[in-house]
Amino acid sequence: MTSGTDQQVLVASEGDVVTARRRIREYAIAAGFSLTDVTRIVTAASELTRNLHLHAGGGRVSWKTVLDGDRVGMEMSFVDEGPGIADLERAFEPGYTSGRGLGMGLSGSKRLMDEIEIDSAPGHGTVVVARKWLR
Amino acid sequence: MSGSVTTSVVKVRDVLLVVVPPEPADAAIAALQDEVLEAMERHEARGLILDLSTVEIVDSFFARIITETAQMVALMGGRTVIAGMRAPVAITVTQLGLLITGTDTALTVDRALDRLSVEAARVTR
Repeated sequence: MTSGTDQQVLVASEGDVVTARRRIREYAIAAGFSLTDVTRIVTAASELTRNLHLHAGGGRVSWKTVLDGDRVGMEMSFVDEGPGIADLERAFEPGYTSGRGLGMGLSGSKRLMDEIEIDSAPGHGTVVVARKWLR
Repeated sequence: MSGSVTTSVVKVRDVLLVVVPPEPADAAIAALQDEVLEAMERHEARGLILDLSTVEIVDSFFARIITETAQMVALMGGRTVIAGMRAPVAITVTQLGLLITGTDTALTVDRALDRLSVEAARVTR
């Protein structure tokens, strides 16, 4: 899998969540996604960016174009140095929440995106990578 | 910045109409809730119409505030109608697994107004 140049937004406040959402929307439209897929991508980005803001005290959102054989897609990464997630399997269960929020962020984003990967350990932050392929 | 756009609450007939901006920030949505409830009391409104026809994204935070607001409006004796949700938003909200409860829905604001007026006519008869 090869990839293009990263674009990124540092998330330190709620305003940054809105900025990240808007720039990801513009990028996804330019990449050629349908309006429904753009909405899926932006909504997943909103959930995962809010996780950075609420649970990790901020972090970094980046996105880029990825190529895999004939497939072209968009990959978003959500990186924080927050408390990390102890139970990764449970984190994907609908309704599982560590506190604020509905607990729909990870499980819901998984349904909206084609692929989602998470790497985390208590005390070592969390990295979530989410991909959507152009159809 | 579109996130900082304030949303106004307008009184139409005896209901409140709120046109939600395309991409509201969390703080704007939370502020709107307070504004709506104060307006319900001030105008003795019969109900609330949330016009979502220009809204491009409803995430879990927004969905929770809509459900909460509808519950609060109900406690004050009013009905909440969500109007004009666009197809991509309806698809995404459903796939994300969000439940918006305690609201009626309508395809357009016109139909939402009709629905609330019909109810009003039935009640006063």
